[in-house]
Amino acid sequence: MKRFTWYLLSVAIALSLVLSACVAPTAAPQPTQPEAAAPAAAATEPATPAEAAAPTNTPPPTPTAAPVPEGATQIAFWHSMGGDIGGKAIPQLATDFNLSQQKCYVTPTYQGSYDDSLNKLKAGLQSKDIPAVVQVFDIGTRLMIDLGVATPVQDFIDAEGYDISDLETNVLAYYTVEDKLWSMPFNTSNPMLYYNKDMFRAAGLDPEKPPRTWDEFAEAARKLTQRDADGKVTIPGATFAIYGWFFEQFNAVSAGYYADNENGRAAPATAAAFNSPEGVAILEWWKGLYDEGVMGNLGRKTVDVRNAFMAQQTGMIIESTATLRGMIDTAEGKFEIGTAFLPRPNEEAYEKSGTIIGGASVWILKDRPAEEQACAWEFIKFLAAPPQQAYWHTMSGYYPIRKAAYDESLDQEWRAKYPQFQTAIDQLHIAPNNRYTQGGLIGVFPAARQTIEGAIEEVLAGKATPQEALDNAAASVTAAIEEYNIAMGITQ
Amino acid sequence: MTLSHQTRRNIVRGLTYLLLIGIAVLVLFPLWSAFTISMLDDAEVASYPPRLAPSHLHLTNFKRALEQAPLLRYLFNSITQSTIVMVGQLVTASLAAFAFAFIDFKGRNIVFLVFLSTLMIPWEATIIPNYLTIQAIGWTDTFQGLSAPFLATAFGTFLLRQFFLTIPKELHDAAVIDGAGNLRFLVTIVLPLARPALGTLAVYSFLQTYNQYLWPLLITNNQDMRTVQIGIALLQDEERFMFNIVMAGVVLILVPTFTLFIAGNRQLIRGLTAGAVKG
Repeated sequence: MKRFTWYLLSVAIALSLVLSACVAPTAAPQPTQPEAAAPAAAATEPATPAEAAAPTNTPPPTPTAAPVPEGATQIAFWHSMGGDIGGKAIPQLATDFNLSQQKCYVTPTYQGSYDDSLNKLKAGLQSKDIPAVVQVFDIGTRLMIDLGVATPVQDFIDAEGYDISDLETNVLAYYTVEDKLWSMPFNTSNPMLYYNKDMFRAAGLDPEKPPRTWDEFAEAARKLTQRDADGKVTIPGATFAIYGWFFEQFNAVSAGYYADNENGRAAPATAAAFNSPEGVAILEWWKGLYDEGVMGNLGRKTVDVRNAFMAQQTGMIIESTATLRGMIDTAEGKFEIGTAFLPRPNEEAYEKSGTIIGGASVWILKDRPAEEQACAWEFIKFLAAPPQQAYWHTMSGYYPIRKAAYDESLDQEWRAKYPQFQTAIDQLHIAPNNRYTQGGLIGVFPAARQTIEGAIEEVLAGKATPQEALDNAAASVTAAIEEYNIAMGITQ
Repeated sequence: MTLSHQTRRNIVRGLTYLLLIGIAVLVLFPLWSAFTISMLDDAEVASYPPRLAPSHLHLTNFKRALEQAPLLRYLFNSITQSTIVMVGQLVTASLAAFAFAFIDFKGRNIVFLVFLSTLMIPWEATIIPNYLTIQAIGWTDTFQGLSAPFLATAFGTFLLRQFFLTIPKELHDAAVIDGAGNLRFLVTIVLPLARPALGTLAVYSFLQTYNQYLWPLLITNNQDMRTVQIGIALLQDEERFMFNIVMAGVVLILVPTFTLFIAGNRQLIRGLTAGAVKG
């Protein structure tokens, strides 16, 4: 036996020596390797978005990369979309673009999470190992601008006279800083209320009248909560993930600022502002529900809360609109999902403010040669066009960034089948465009989000009052902003 | 009533086995759970209470995982990269350890200490300089780039040196008297004796490399040069997390690790205890 394992090991080593000797050099010349080329297959399979998206349960064939036309400018596109939409929808969009014209050829590459991708971008800046187009999450906007690495898409819009009037106003507003549109929105979402209609019925609630305000929400949560004979809660009526994004959204619909200088929109932010009465009220409401036992706590991960909801272990959750497609697919045949607007502190709040758009946008990097940037702009325009946005909408649940996408037959059929998608669109459209709904603009947003999450945990654990926790969080975020402003040379 | 010696021994043995079985279940549970989840369909995976065994052999998740990420290509890349690193480390570490253990040269201890002190430098601190170097050589998207920074290892050298020290010096003297050179002595006598340590180092370095995430992510842009851990990340959609598909991917990439572990199991266990008692 001993001898046997030794043989195995030595065979493995010998084999690997041979392998490494012959494999490494052949792999060096890239990037058009024989297997990816397969021009015949790509040509016979034009793969239009409409075709690919039609059936839900039989997945479309994995898109084959199109051949690179001679003399085409090749550009790289870094994205952070995993799962089905990263593995299929993005390559599909790239292939469609490549087949739609001959001059530009785009290669999409998954670069890990938004954070991973941004870190890789920062590392690559020193050596110019960067793509022409990169997808950056919403809260990386200020950082991208301050790093000075991007060509604003506004430059291309102005040069070409590209019409942006069809794009959603609120979506544009988020990515417009100092009157310039810096990046083209790509995947945009909102948080909304998801509720279990079957549980609503069982609790004697009207499934067609979901709660609109915090008080109504608390009432519904109480009714949905199930207790055992000893009065111990078995199923909490509602559960929120401890996710900073939700706080930001509740703050926005309460007409509260996240940072000073009107959310950092009138001038660069110098301090955090979320420890306002509006911010404190959110945590008091949340903590109140939690103490009553009608609000569950499953930690920071939204996926855990989502799973509890799918397993009918809680009746109402807050989630991104982008999760809708997956949740509907999973709930099919088990229970009916309802969607509603994010609950507001009161009815008047619907007039004053609304939700902030979330998601990510695509940036053009200025260190790439001009012809690559031109191709990047062509690609970005392609992504923003109505058919692609409709395809993207139905594949993912991210809503279209332009109104014309709703007129695409694909999108109309989709919403007829899944009316829940309409909620997200309506929520976007009822939100007024103001400094609250444009959202906070600070360079240290990812860290600030985590700070807030820590504060919420402290409040729920009873270690601090909402006011104390938010004051501490604000102090720490303000310090980070000050440090950032010094590092970036931002002065008032 | 007194129990006979035999019975008592049996009871003790029974309890020991019970304990061992309990621990084995604890250790194996995550693996079993991963396997189970990879076999569930979309509705089952969200059901409550969670299922502890698959209801049927449901292989579509594997198909879906392979559709979402070219995991087979990634597997090939990871195995190649890990093998290069493993072989490289075995060669460099055994040569260096040999020098530190058998050859007397001036300042040997100082050099060895300096060598060891590099263990204190966290990998995170060197990752960006390494990245810039590899980039400057033009080795991005190649197996050289993926493996070069890991070809030498202070830990491996230390491990092997300690083992080599347990080999009687007289063997070296005898070999020298018989006219064997250092290299011959190393290859024909030391390495066969050091099999447990070599096996340990091989498994360790393979797994370390196999589990890398950040380095391959930095150094590759080409889809065809990516490695398995990035593949697993690619299966995870933040907004639509499909545990069954992710677990199918995990099960797939576990296969080589398992094979290696089973093959190297004996060496590994002996290696870990070797040198514990100096005899």
